[in-house]
Amino acid sequence: MTHPDTTSLIGRYQAYRTRRFLANERKWAQQLPSWRTRDRKRKLVVGLAATFVFMFAVGVVCNFGIWWGPLLWLPACALFFPLLIAVRIVSGRQDDAPEATLDEWEIAQRNSARSIGLAVTQSLVTVAAMYLIFGAVITDNKNGDLVYAGGIFVLTALLIGSCTPAMILAWTRPDLEPDDES
Amino acid sequence: MSPVRRGETLPIHNRIAVLRAERRLSRAHLAEAIDVNPQTVGALERGDHYPSLDLALRICDVFGLPVEAVFARTEFGPLSTEMYGRTTRPNAGGDPQ
Repeated sequence: MTHPDTTSLIGRYQAYRTRRFLANERKWAQQLPSWRTRDRKRKLVVGLAATFVFMFAVGVVCNFGIWWGPLLWLPACALFFPLLIAVRIVSGRQDDAPEATLDEWEIAQRNSARSIGLAVTQSLVTVAAMYLIFGAVITDNKNGDLVYAGGIFVLTALLIGSCTPAMILAWTRPDLEPDDES
Repeated sequence: MSPVRRGETLPIHNRIAVLRAERRLSRAHLAEAIDVNPQTVGALERGDHYPSLDLALRICDVFGLPVEAVFARTEFGPLSTEMYGRTTRPNAGGDPQ
């Protein structure tokens, strides 16, 4: 594990983040014990992916100007937040953990997952931005539904990209073996 | 994974699992001794992760062995063969083979 420099401002902030993370980890480490197997973690990840598909579908509905379309965003959020919190609890929040709390293998895995997350974010947001740009040109800036749907697509793309590292880590981390537990 | 940036990744084999079994150390105990997660010990044993020099030296310290006894570029043979493989036993009549 790495030990941050505590003399500089960034070092002190990282030390504070580390203390806060460890305090939260103690609080959450015993939560959802039955959901910490690889199989069940993968079910949560699939649930989260299905929620993103639903969010995209909400954008499509909004694009056609159906008046109740935006209301569908509420059940999407009602699914998204509990699933994301559950995925992050069972994966030990390693996607967002300060470096001082991880060992070198965990840091390597986290960096790899974050790198993929960044690539996913860039790709999806670019597609959503192109939809807005070309949509604005084609409709001569007169279609408010298209703009609303574009906003939902951008938001969905950002959520997918930001959740990708947690999803990858939850999906790939092997189960604890009996020898792993003291 | 390797810290090397470019080119062909050369393998680093290790004897951690054998040494751990010989000393009746659980992964959790070895992990505690070298300050890593137990799953990281599993990744090292499977060859999924090549350790940094710092981690390799910590592991060698726990076993009290030099680096070349724990890590190598070539695959390790069984420890017992390396220890006893070259000695010959006298046959029943006492004549050396």
